[in-house]
Amino acid sequence: MNLLGVLEISGSALTAERQRAEVLASNLANAQTTQTAKGGPYQRQLVIFGTRKADSSTFASAFAGFSDRYAQGVEVKRVLPDPTPPVQRFEPAHPDADSQGYVAYPAVNPIEEMVNLMGAARSYELNVAAVQATKNMISQSFQILS
Amino acid sequence: MGSPLSGISPLNQVNAGVETGKPVDDRSDFSSQLQTAFNQVEQLQTEADQQIAGLLNGQGEDIHKAMIAVEKANLSFQLMMQVRNKIIQAYRDVAGMAF
Repeated sequence: MNLLGVLEISGSALTAERQRAEVLASNLANAQTTQTAKGGPYQRQLVIFGTRKADSSTFASAFAGFSDRYAQGVEVKRVLPDPTPPVQRFEPAHPDADSQGYVAYPAVNPIEEMVNLMGAARSYELNVAAVQATKNMISQSFQILS
Repeated sequence: MGSPLSGISPLNQVNAGVETGKPVDDRSDFSSQLQTAFNQVEQLQTEADQQIAGLLNGQGEDIHKAMIAVEKANLSFQLMMQVRNKIIQAYRDVAGMAF
């Protein structure tokens, strides 16, 4: 059942990439947001990935031995706000303008976010390919019997 | 002519060994292992069912998790079928033996 553990690893990567895409989409959607619950403009969020110990709940045996020591999944460790100061734009008519007529806009570069989003989508694709490769390996091993 | 007849008695010892000795334990071990394997297959299928249900209910399950669960259930079922085919084939081979 060890090969099923590979599926777990690829699955964790799929989850992580989906969450990253979610945060990137949020950054894109709020590129012009000047009002938030905390007050002030939206702050761009950064996703931090980290290695993950495998789930021992369902497949304790799947990660025994080799994979327990060397193969690790991935997960979103933290989502941090980008410390870059907001972009000031002169819009005196805006309701959120300060006394000098400047409005603080989030420091989100849509192009950069889009590139990151493409990266997340490609990584997702890549891990789906890894799942299919693993699936094929398992199916191939059944051919030994028949 | 006396000595060949005496050779029959060890058969009883072999039979006694089958009834009380280790071979019986091994047989039950194999069947219980088979049972455990089947149960694991069933568990994977239940898990896949739950994931799919969660997906369709809109409980926020990840699509890829459901797909991987279904694939695991599928693969484990295939393995179970292969083992079953092998066992049935072995049984037929033994049953068809000419004496």
